[in-house]
Parts: sequence; C-alpha cells; structure tokens
Amino acid sequence: MTLFAHAGHWLTSVAYFIPVLVFLIWLGVTQLRERRRRPRGRGD
Amino acid sequence: MSLIAHGLVGRSDLPIPEWLFGWGAAMVLVVSFVALALLWPQPKLQREHWRPLPGGLGRPLASRAVELICGALGVFLLGMVIWSGLRGTQSPTANFAPTFIYVIFWLGLVAVSVLFGDVFRAFNPWRAVGRACAWLAPTVSRADLPKPLEYPQRLGNWPAVAGIFAFAVMELVVSDGDEPHNLAVATMVYSAATFIAMALYGVEAWIERGEALSVYFNLFSRLSPFETRDHVVGLRRPLSGLAALKPVAGTVPLLAVIIGSVTFDGAAEGPLWTGIAPDIMNFFDDLGLSAQRAFEVTFLVGLTATILLIHGFYRLGTIGARSVGGGFSALQLARAFVHTLVPIALAYVAAHYFTLLLFQGQAFWALISDPLGNGSDLFGTADRQVDYAVIGANATWYWQVAFVVGGHVLALTLAHDRALALYEDTKLAVRSQYWMLAVMVGFTSLALWLLSQANG
Repeated sequence: MTLFAHAGHWLTSVAYFIPVLVFLIWLGVTQLRERRRRPRGRGD
Repeated sequence: MSLIAHGLVGRSDLPIPEWLFGWGAAMVLVVSFVALALLWPQPKLQREHWRPLPGGLGRPLASRAVELICGALGVFLLGMVIWSGLRGTQSPTANFAPTFIYVIFWLGLVAVSVLFGDVFRAFNPWRAVGRACAWLAPTVSRADLPKPLEYPQRLGNWPAVAGIFAFAVMELVVSDGDEPHNLAVATMVYSAATFIAMALYGVEAWIERGEALSVYFNLFSRLSPFETRDHVVGLRRPLSGLAALKPVAGTVPLLAVIIGSVTFDGAAEGPLWTGIAPDIMNFFDDLGLSAQRAFEVTFLVGLTATILLIHGFYRLGTIGARSVGGGFSALQLARAFVHTLVPIALAYVAAHYFTLLLFQGQAFWALISDPLGNGSDLFGTADRQVDYAVIGANATWYWQVAFVVGGHVLALTLAHDRALALYEDTKLAVRSQYWMLAVMVGFTSLALWLLSQANG
C-alpha cells in the first residue's frame, strides 16, 4: 500500500530517467541491427 | 556537511515540472551531438596552441616575486586554519577553519581555477615550504641534498585518489568532521604526509601527481584559457588544456571519487538514502557498533557504493564504445576519454554547491575579522551578515540546470574531438560516441534528479 501511496514521489523520480531509458533502448536496437547487417554484408 | 544546508528555500511557480527540465537537457545533448557530428569533422583541440599574454603581461604575473608573495600568503592561511582550529571556539559556524576549508578553499578555488588557471600552484603552502626547504637545506648543511627517489609509475594519481577520498570522508562521513579542532588536526596530518612524500619523491613530482589538492585543482584549471609555462602566463585554445591531460594510473578513479562524492552528498539529502540508511545503520548497530560509529560506517558504505557506481557507469560506457570496433581495449578508451569527466565533475560541483558558496562564502568577511570566534574585529568586518536574498530559489534552479547542461555539452565536445583523433574512420568515431552520449545523458539525468531531491 505504501508503494501506491508514494507513487507520486517515485513516479516523478522515474520520469527523470525516462530519456536515459529511451536512449538505451534506441542504442540496443541500433546495435542489434548493426550485428544483423554485418554477416549479411560479408555474404554479399 | 552538517554545518550548512545547501538549499535554503523551496522553489515555486516553475513554468514546467522539474523533471521536464531533465528531458529538455537530454534533448539539448542529443541536438549538440548531431550538430557536432555534422559541423565538427576534424579534431581541433588535440594540438598545442599557447601564446604569452599580450603586452608582456605574462612574465610579471608569473615572476618569482609574485610566486614568493603567493606562497607566503598560502603558508599564512594554512597557519591561520591550524591556529583558529586549535585555539578558537569549537562552534563550526563561528570559527574561521570550517568555512575556509569547506567553502572558500574547496569550492571557491574551483571557480577561481576554472576562470584563471592553476592559481593554487602559486598559493600551495606545502609546495612553498618544500621549495624553501630545498633552497635552504644545502646552504645550511653546506652539502648537496640526496637526489629524490624516482616517482613510481604505478602509483600514478592513486595518492591523490586516497587524499580526495579522505577529504570526502571527513566532509560527509565523520560525524564531527566540521569541528574546528578535528579539521586543524587533519590539516596537520595531511601537511606532515605531504612533507614526507615531497622529501622522498621531490617537490614538483609529488605536487604534479600525488598531492591530492594540487591534482584536484589542476584538473579544473585545465578548463581555463590561462596557462603558465616557464614562468610566463599565456593563453591557450579553450578546452585544449583538458585535451592535453595525460592520464596515468588512478586518473579515472580520481574523477569517479570527485563525481561520486558530490553525488552521494546530494543523494544523502533525498528520500532514497534517508529511507535505506536506517536499515543499514541497524545492521551495524546489531554488530555491536556504537550509534555514532554505526552512523559513520553507514555513510562510508553509501559514499563508497556511490563512487563505485559512478566508476562502473563510466566503464560501461567505454565497454559499449569498444563494441563498435577500432581495436581499442575498454581500459584504453576509459583513459582516452577520462578528460571528458572533468567538465561533468565541474557541473556537479557547481550545481550542487552553488548556493553554499554564494551564501556561506559571504561569511568569510566576518570570520577573517574574528577567526577564533572570540569577539575580535581585526578588519572591522566582524558584523557583516550573510545576505540570503542575493539569489532566489527559481533563479538558483535555472543556474543549476545551466551548469549541468553546459558541463555536459562541453564533455560531449571533448569526447567528439578525441574520438575524431582516435579513430581513423569518422563514421566509427561518431558511432563510438553513441555510448558516450548515453553516459552524458545518464549523468545529466542523475544530476538534475539529485538536485530536485536535495532542494525540493
């Protein structure tokens, strides 16, 4: 219950780190694409 | 520091929620990153570009006479700190030593170093005494002094890491670390250790790498356009001083200690730490430690964990940068980009301690007239009051955001320039910087979150 009662506080704290999360997801996706592209490029 | 609270009043009426400033700051970094990738195709900061100050001003400013006067003033202030700490009132706010050490010296000199270069080198009392001894000893003993030992390469900046960590422990962990007597004793212990080390390895070798405060202020002074070479003050290209930093063993941990200790100081005021600290304290209490020791060990654990987290976060960034290729190890990349942490450290220090310096710094005038806190009025300034209206809460927040964003944009610029110099392929250089951008966005969000926690 305390968790929900203080939701306003920790949600605000989480909000600060959303850009980091978004950026890391984007970075992960970019890296995955790169890795997939590399072997295909070698086969061509 | 229990002596003075950092944020004094809460903010009100900001046009947008504080967390949105964090999003805006992240956007500024991404836009800066894109702009650098498009408009900065060649490294510009890696080459030396120094010229003496115009009008022949550079030589008198760094002359032996000026150095002698500055050194004497440094020794006088060192003596005053020890004297007031030992003989004065033990009230931290009424004694000269705590405010001088924690505010004027520790914070004020960072600002002075960034603006005017490595000023501390001239005022360094231990260097002044060491040089005076090195000059006097052969005359008195009528024989040459034995040659100092060669400074061990593997020691690098590690003594400075230990010194800055010890300072942070005194400031943030030791429960009576702001008591004047304790500060005077700590100053004497540090002085004795410094004199012994200088006697062993030579004055300049120790000052350059081992003496914690010299290394600390020198790092910040590299942001300044002013640099002294061969007793001449000159100008260099902005940021080129940092690009010229030669990292040695311990340089990365040193910056982790600087950033980590400020981070912990901020976090210690927020609900996250105040929520978990009692549980850790209870654990040490159950082990049989006294309440005071349990408190101190808890804070030591918190400080150490925060420093390790900061270090780990930076190392993760460099491990990520290694994954794009180029043939560099993560350690090589960590050292190659360590200079980018200096503007971040400055951003953290400036944003977090801005109000402390602005408010408590004013107390200097009263304390210099009454250093012992016994009612004297040496210069007629003992009744000077601190003006807390010098800046408002909202203006403080805007300045803090500006420091954080500005520091991280500078760090991005330095990282981009170094990547261009390091990688043969420009595209690879930019791709490696995705990871550094992630580190910068992380540090920016952390800094603003900490400030919101501390001042909210």
